Formats: sequence, C-alpha cells, structure tokens
Amino acid sequence: MEEHVYDSVYLRSRDFEEGRALFETWDPNARYAWDAGVAIGGYLRGLKAGKLIGRYCPECGRVMIPPRMFCEQCFRATDHWVDLHDTGTVITFSLCYVTWDMVRLEEPQIPAVIEIDGASPGMGIMHILSEVDPDAVRIGMRVQAVWKPAAERTGAITDISYFKPLG
Amino acid sequence: MSMLHRIEHVHDALAWEGDMPTQGRYTAGIAGERFLREIQENGKLLGTACLTCDIVYVPPRLYCERCFDHLDEWVEVPPTGRVYTFTLVHLDLDAKPLPEPRMMAFVQLDGADGGLVHFLDEAEPEDICIGMRVEAVFKDKTERKGSILDIAYFRPVTACQ
Repeated sequence: MEEHVYDSVYLRSRDFEEGRALFETWDPNARYAWDAGVAIGGYLRGLKAGKLIGRYCPECGRVMIPPRMFCEQCFRATDHWVDLHDTGTVITFSLCYVTWDMVRLEEPQIPAVIEIDGASPGMGIMHILSEVDPDAVRIGMRVQAVWKPAAERTGAITDISYFKPLG
Repeated sequence: MSMLHRIEHVHDALAWEGDMPTQGRYTAGIAGERFLREIQENGKLLGTACLTCDIVYVPPRLYCERCFDHLDEWVEVPPTGRVYTFTLVHLDLDAKPLPEPRMMAFVQLDGADGGLVHFLDEAEPEDICIGMRVEAVFKDKTERKGSILDIAYFRPVTACQ
C-alpha cells in the first residue's frame, strides 16, 4: 500500500456562509444549573429573609462570611450558623468609572469589601456603596445594608441593593 | 442543617441556571461533499471502490475501512436497491409525536456494499417487506441543497412477493 497524503482543505467562515462547504449545524443543549451548595445555599436563603449569616469554627473561633461548611485554616467542619448584623466597615474600595461591559460612567460605581459586624476581623463581602459622595468614601467608613423590599428578594446577593454610610 | 443534609427535591436546591450558547458545524468532508454535490447537481449516487477488497462504499469513503488504502476509484451506482430493514417512526428527534408517522428503511443499494437510511413513501407499512425493491425519488433540482434530503424518499418498484 502506498502512503497517501491528503490535500489539506482550510475552511474559513466565508466558505460556510457562502455555501462552498456542505455542513450540518449542531446546537448542543448546554443549559446548566450550578448548585449553590449547603453553605452558600443557607447564606442565600438568609439574604432572602433579609439577614446576613455566617458559620462558626469551634477550632479557631472564627465567624466566617460568606459562610462555608469547612474551615480552610483548621481543616475541620464548621459547627453552626451565626446571625450577623447588616452593618460593617469598609476595608477596601474602588471608584469605578467604567461598567463591567466597558461603558463609561459619569458617576462612579463604588465596589467595596465590607467587614461585617459580628464576623471575625477581615471577614467581609464585596458589594457596592451608594448614597455617598465618592470623594467622601474612606477605608474604615461605617456602612449599613440597604435591602430590597421583601417581596422583591430572590435569594441573591443583589437582595441587598447597596451599602450606605451609617448614621 | 448538617453537612449530610440531603435535598429531597431538585427545586429545593438553590441554583443558578445558565445557558452556554454554542454551535457546532459538522462538514460533509471531502468524499461526503462530492457525494452530496453529485446528488444536488446530477441526481446521481456515487461511491468509492476498493479494488483490493472488492468493496464499493456508498456513501463514499476516502479510504478503505478494511485495508486502509486510499480510495480514488469513483463509481456511479444506480438509485435502486432493496429494503434491508424498515420501521415506522412516530416521534421526532425530540420525542415529540410526528403529525403523521413515517416509514424509514435501510436501503441496500444495488452495486454497493453499503446503503442509506432514508424515508420510505408511496406505500403503506403493510405493503412493505424486507427484500423488496425500491428506488430513490429525487427532489426537483431547484429544491436541492446538497443534502441527503435532496432524495425525497425511496418508493417501492414492485410489490412484495
């Protein structure tokens, strides 16, 4: 048997669009559902009920938010749920003049990490700040969650509309 | 709720749903392209022959599946054959009921070692038997697109014996 090298045929988009190549199309059903899991599932149910909850590790004594079922420092299961406050302290923030899809903004969005009262130091969640002069935002600023009305809450982090300065 | 808490129903799970928009293109390939273009333009069926193995491949292959040799012996085969097996299809690919059940058959083509899975028509299911002679009915040339459906269906040539 002789060796036979087949001619290479490079197909470009235009070859398909202009009918030079015969082909079938296939649309895989790529729908998925991503399970939040036990810890985040409980966290999201808490948000729907209008409260922030964390998990307690009896080994290191940390109260963690977002909650997790396993302490990554002690390698042991966390123990129970802890109700937290919906107030906290800005530990870092940014003034953002473009949206996530690159649209320029006149007024900045202010994403921030907020250390939640009742959780251990450094334990916080990322959210946005509003009802505040961008120039007045400081690390260490005290803030409080502004919740959506109960009927509009869906069990998502966006059940909190934003955080605003406290007092 | 413990670590071993089990969810009894899928709607109890908190889940994000999404959809990844993907589309695949599956080309007919070099031999498939020639096969389908010949149906489209001339209403003829082509195969490739392996002279070593005495096999005629329809649909055509570029290489022999038996001896792996390159095949460049193109032969025309008649659009006639015999029903090798057949069935009555009631559901579409999504398992939805078809408006009318359709007969499908594997037709062993004359002069070829392979054959085509295709529709059977112009007959009732009780008129079909294994081994009966059938012929391809091509669509009008203006309606052909270079698809296996350029053959509208196969129809009986003679009645069952």
